[in-house]
Amino acid sequence: MIFLTVGTVFPFDRLVRAIDIATGNGLIEEEVFAQIGTTSFQPTHLRYVDFLDKYTFDQYFKKSTFLISHAGIGTIATALDFAKPLLVMPRMRCFNEHVNDHQIATARRFEKDGYLLAAYNVEEIPAKIEQLKSFVPRRRQTQAEEVAERISVFLNELCELRK
Amino acid sequence: MTKGRQKLRICVAGSAGGHINQLLRLSSGWRGHNTFFVTTKKVVQEKLQQYGKVYIVGECNRQRPFMCIIVLLRCIRIIFKEHPDVVISTGAAPGVMLCFISKILGGKIVWIDSIANVERLSLSGRLVRPFADLFLTQWSTVANEYSKVEFVGVVI
Repeated sequence: MIFLTVGTVFPFDRLVRAIDIATGNGLIEEEVFAQIGTTSFQPTHLRYVDFLDKYTFDQYFKKSTFLISHAGIGTIATALDFAKPLLVMPRMRCFNEHVNDHQIATARRFEKDGYLLAAYNVEEIPAKIEQLKSFVPRRRQTQAEEVAERISVFLNELCELRK
Repeated sequence: MTKGRQKLRICVAGSAGGHINQLLRLSSGWRGHNTFFVTTKKVVQEKLQQYGKVYIVGECNRQRPFMCIIVLLRCIRIIFKEHPDVVISTGAAPGVMLCFISKILGGKIVWIDSIANVERLSLSGRLVRPFADLFLTQWSTVANEYSKVEFVGVVI
């Protein structure tokens, strides 16, 4: 199963339509399930819902063989956690898909380091879907513990000051 | 936190999606303190409830100015009711509002700029930076460009 998710805040008709077409014309042979959020386009070749609760969302995430999504950091991080092959297409401001174009920079950065595949427009999607079938994402090391420790130190200093 | 230490009242604020995701990975940082959460959508409420009280303020951004006023009023209410000692946030707009309102009432601000901003600080981050008491970015290159901005590592 391929899980397509485009977040919950802004619509992302371009990506949902492109994946619906790819499913319809047989480029994607696997079953696709989508969380389309506020997207107004209604897919005809794939199963979809508007919103999933976090628990069900995670279940689909874990069950999927591949993921396709916007270049939202939440989805990217979760994909890296579960070591899932991910194809992203960044949202663009000119299509009213976000307040700015930061997703393009995010996609470039993570793509360059081998964490995901990125399509920067609808035309690139078919080739990227082919690549996705054999893509193995690089494992990511994080320093969440160290950052949490820095916050903990700050809070403890604050407590000391208040004594 | 060791026993007997004073507990802080902490507001952990992040919009649904990547913002709250990054915050949850840092929860050991405020373990032992008295926390409550503010987020923007009900979808994450269930997950957060296990850690403390959750307020849902709704989504707002530059494209929805009217909703911003409603969210602002909700944020003011929360801060006046809860009086947090510290607001810890990754953004976006509601996080900024909570930081500002709390600061006016004498609270401290801990800001962790979202990793989604790879080239410079987020707009939210740039607004909060002059008032932040601890400001962390997840890109070393970004930290070098601003004063008072620390890089410790990446959260996700």
